[in-house]
Amino acid sequence: MNYVKTLIRNLIRGPSTVAYPFGPAWTPVHFRGRVEFKLSSCTACRACEQVCAPGAIRFDKTPEGLRFMLWHNTCVFCGLCEYYCPTDAIRQTDDWHMAHATANQYQMAIREVIPYVSCSACGTKALASAPNPVGVIPPFSAEEIEQQRNLCPGCRKTALAERGVTK
Amino acid sequence: MSNFTIPVGPLNVALEEPMYFKVDVHGETVSHVDIHAGHVHRGIEYLVTKRNVFQNLVLTERICSLCSNSHPQAYAMAIEQIAGLTVPPRAEYMRVIADEIKRVASHLFNVGVLAHLVGFESLFMQVMEVREMMQDVKESMFGNRMDLGAHVIGGVRFDINDESIEYLRAQLDRIAPAVAEITHIYNTNGSILGRTRGIGVLSHADAVDCSVVGPVARASGINYDVRVKAPYSAYDRLEVPVHVLPDGDVWSRAMIRLQEVATAIDILRQCLADLPGGPTSCTAERPSIPVGEAIGKCEAPRGELIYYVRMTDSPKPERVKWRVPSFMNWDALTFMMKGAKIADIAIIVNSIDPCISCTER
Repeated sequence: MNYVKTLIRNLIRGPSTVAYPFGPAWTPVHFRGRVEFKLSSCTACRACEQVCAPGAIRFDKTPEGLRFMLWHNTCVFCGLCEYYCPTDAIRQTDDWHMAHATANQYQMAIREVIPYVSCSACGTKALASAPNPVGVIPPFSAEEIEQQRNLCPGCRKTALAERGVTK
Repeated sequence: MSNFTIPVGPLNVALEEPMYFKVDVHGETVSHVDIHAGHVHRGIEYLVTKRNVFQNLVLTERICSLCSNSHPQAYAMAIEQIAGLTVPPRAEYMRVIADEIKRVASHLFNVGVLAHLVGFESLFMQVMEVREMMQDVKESMFGNRMDLGAHVIGGVRFDINDESIEYLRAQLDRIAPAVAEITHIYNTNGSILGRTRGIGVLSHADAVDCSVVGPVARASGINYDVRVKAPYSAYDRLEVPVHVLPDGDVWSRAMIRLQEVATAIDILRQCLADLPGGPTSCTAERPSIPVGEAIGKCEAPRGELIYYVRMTDSPKPERVKWRVPSFMNWDALTFMMKGAKIADIAIIVNSIDPCISCTER
């Protein structure tokens, strides 16, 4: 008998499924979807490459610089890259619309190059990556990040020592 | 009446996962069962030794989708023991929250499938709809319906604010009466009782002999729950009642699961009330893992899950071995199926909540 109650309740309440793709589909704010990469924040520390379980993230040296590459079809959306990224360079969006034609499968990747520059202090060839913010107190200002970006690792250390870092 | 040997599985509409039973029947009654495993072996124990400690958090999570929180938790506990890391109190409570959310969803899934196998499709839909509320919780709080990604070495990697605490409380208030209603149906409905009471009985003595764990053991009168016997995370600070039933039939196992769902909701409420402040992880960076070996164990929805990890000076573990609850429980199927009817085979197999992908990895 108790089932009749459920039946009536369900008739009044209507279906619990959504009408997607003919209607909107609910997506939670914290949904772990397609990965986004912000080149200007990348410190080239390669932590994301090391923790990426399926090997979707890869860094290659090219003549122009260090290339970051992420294959969306290999990504398992675990979010470890975002967790271990010292800056906000890599993060997951709530975008889950990943369906694509097979012909486009090689476009389903992020390929961005951190270029080489010559150090503004000593002129050595160096990567124009963002400085690592870990342990830097007070945090870098926007101008300082741009200054550090144009320095080689050695000159960055010197600049940091002059600035004073409290750990 | 004549004797036959019939195959059940590995692909069978009534089985949720590939498992092959060679069943000798006398007329319609089972006289002997042979269990053949190995259909979903993916070599994960080997793969684990080819990946570093952090990558393995993700790999162990993907061994099985229903206990996908327990595997990385036991693994992380073993690694933390090797590295001597202390998980902050807030993270311990958060681990319990993730664990119990998964337990509610996992148990409701199994109980729902039981209704489906009994042929009570509308009840199956009702249970799955209640489970869907928990799926929404997982998706909202963790970002994924099955693989929560809650753990890191040294803590958890999600945080909850007042808004998500309010949301979780509201969802629990919706789920609790719905679970009570379902429990009442399983307690009183003639179709359910007729197909499950006195079916697939595992006596207390047989249960001890087979060393069964989890709800299967508790339904046969064995009072054993890792959360109480060897408390981990924050379970020593929480009230965790252990439910035990004496009969050991399919119905008892379903009832144990439903009672544990109610308990899990209660534990979640306790966690939300006592949740301490502070960091959610003992280190924001990747800790270095020294040489050593350790064992971590936790209570997965199916029972006791044990992880053994051995680290050498390489960032990859030398050996990771885990004993899953279904390995202990599926042996008991031969006792449960003795004298059973062919029509009850699927119901009995489902009642141990077998997780073949964990067991064969």
